[in-house]
Amino acid sequence: MKSTILLATILAGAATLRAADPQPLAERLKVEPFALVYETYVDDNWELFISNNDGTAPINLTKTPTVHEHYPQVSPDGTKICYSVDEGEGRDAVRSLWVMGSDGSHRKKLAEKAREPFWSPDSKRVGFLPQEYPKFNVVDYYTKGMSFYNLATGVITPHPNTEKLHHLYNPSFSQNGKWIAAICHAGMGETHAIFLIEANGTKLINLKIPGCRPCLSNDNKSIAWGSTDNELSVADIDLDSDTPKVAKPRLQIRDSEKFIYHIDWSPDGRYLAFSGGPKSKGDPSKKGTFQSACEIVGVYAPGWDIYAVSSEKTGIIDVKTAGADEVARFTSNGASNKEPDWMPRKPAAK
Amino acid sequence: MRLTTYLSLLAASVVLLSGCQENKPGAETKAGESAVVEVITPSGAAMVFVTGGSFTMGSSKGSPDEAPPHQVTVGSFLMDKYEVTGAQYVTAQLPNPSRWHENPKNPVEQVRWRDAKQYCNERSLLEKLKPCYNEKTLDWDCDMTANGYRLPTEAEWEYAARAGTEGDYEFGSADKLRQYGWFAENGEQKTHPVGQKKPNRWGLHDLYGNVSEWCEDVYNATYYQGSPATDPTGPPNTGADVRRVIRGGSWKASAGQCRSSARQGEKTGDSDACFKTDYSGFRCVRRVTEAELAALKAK
Repeated sequence: MKSTILLATILAGAATLRAADPQPLAERLKVEPFALVYETYVDDNWELFISNNDGTAPINLTKTPTVHEHYPQVSPDGTKICYSVDEGEGRDAVRSLWVMGSDGSHRKKLAEKAREPFWSPDSKRVGFLPQEYPKFNVVDYYTKGMSFYNLATGVITPHPNTEKLHHLYNPSFSQNGKWIAAICHAGMGETHAIFLIEANGTKLINLKIPGCRPCLSNDNKSIAWGSTDNELSVADIDLDSDTPKVAKPRLQIRDSEKFIYHIDWSPDGRYLAFSGGPKSKGDPSKKGTFQSACEIVGVYAPGWDIYAVSSEKTGIIDVKTAGADEVARFTSNGASNKEPDWMPRKPAAK
Repeated sequence: MRLTTYLSLLAASVVLLSGCQENKPGAETKAGESAVVEVITPSGAAMVFVTGGSFTMGSSKGSPDEAPPHQVTVGSFLMDKYEVTGAQYVTAQLPNPSRWHENPKNPVEQVRWRDAKQYCNERSLLEKLKPCYNEKTLDWDCDMTANGYRLPTEAEWEYAARAGTEGDYEFGSADKLRQYGWFAENGEQKTHPVGQKKPNRWGLHDLYGNVSEWCEDVYNATYYQGSPATDPTGPPNTGADVRRVIRGGSWKASAGQCRSSARQGEKTGDSDACFKTDYSGFRCVRRVTEAELAALKAK
């Protein structure tokens, strides 16, 4: 009798476990009020695409066969996208910064020989990094100083510490307006360091974390970054503090085979998108591309796609072995899909 | 024209016209000594004319990859007197990738192999020369016949470093290395402005230490067992992730690693966005005609 009861209990427990099988992440994302914008290489051309939250219904936002768009950055209010455009080939290429509506309309050039745009929290200014020299170079840290373009007035204002800012890339604003996070390579007295740059002053804080490409969450409480070529890390940070410090990583996303880069927080901070694929150094046969490390803007990255994970997880997510409940895949064509950026959308009507 | 200049030109011309000459091992190189000509290129780089000749490449006393010692003949070339510096990167409008980037006279380091080649091409274009590297190919294949700048072959590098001598160092024994180079024992864990140490007898500075110098060749530990005797350019490129040769030791190298024949294969870093090999630099070479050399000397 006892054994019968025990067996029944076990079977009932197993049934309960099956019922509680976690929902695939892609299904959870479907109902979230976001879209995803990213760069991709189609028909010998870099373009910006927008897709639903599960990767369906990709739409080419730019459709420009003669110029090359990349590095989309969605404004915090979700109404605009700033991005970079390359025209010309090789050392004669010119990289400029543009802004457009979130549907691809009303395109406007903001600055020439500039790169790495980022939005102020009020969506009224676009920060950017001027090129170090006039001649084109694909290297990501080819920058000197920092400036802001005011969308209402068209006036460009330098950062108060612009003279000291050198070889930065991948900047992003904290949503409280206090800080700009960026990575510096071979500049500002550092070999390689992730900095917090005071947005309206001259304070510089070396966060002393290994790796590159930091991204700050909208609640000012978390930072994500690429800690190695094969690992993305997430940690707590108090960006409301005057001396923010990075805690020990609470989540690490790893892929032992592929490079993983370009991490980006969803507007509500519950998800992280990133791109990944095989290590490579470009493809000289592709028009409008350059040769360097394949994660760099403008370098063709064969086999790269866009993924997402939940940032509410802790511990380690191994992309290679993770189930559908842990990792969602947005693209699958491997067409150099990089630099994902979430776009807030109004919640769909129920 | 000054008499000395005329004589130098005459000597260089004789050497150029007579082709490669045999240098007596261990002896002061008569042809090399008399033909040493320094020039300043249109972009401002100081270079030394190295008269071609034959020498014993490698060593039987070093690491296995240095053996066997073998006779090699190289043609004449111009070689940078110093390692390429941060100031030269500014001239070429290239971002200085160096860890120690504050002093423009420091040699550049953290240089990927292809970045070094990019500098070579930029300098060629600045001086209206034909670039050696084809940027449309995956590894930027080198046209050795072009008159622009390129990285030295491993043979050219060792020939210039030896300056007509055999033995571990051009200047004799390791106890003199402090006079000629920055290495682990005196380098203070960093690079130093170029040209502060004694040059070798052909007028080339910092071949020993400061930064290791990229060469054109693919690295293969057994290459010397069957390498060509004339102007060897290294083993064939086998594709992904080959290592390339770096020579000369660096601020973090032992005295042994700075020897004239010491070889090292290094990952190129070409697919690495955050290349942090803070001891890899380079210097440029180029082949010149008699007329080009005369024009440079006249300036």
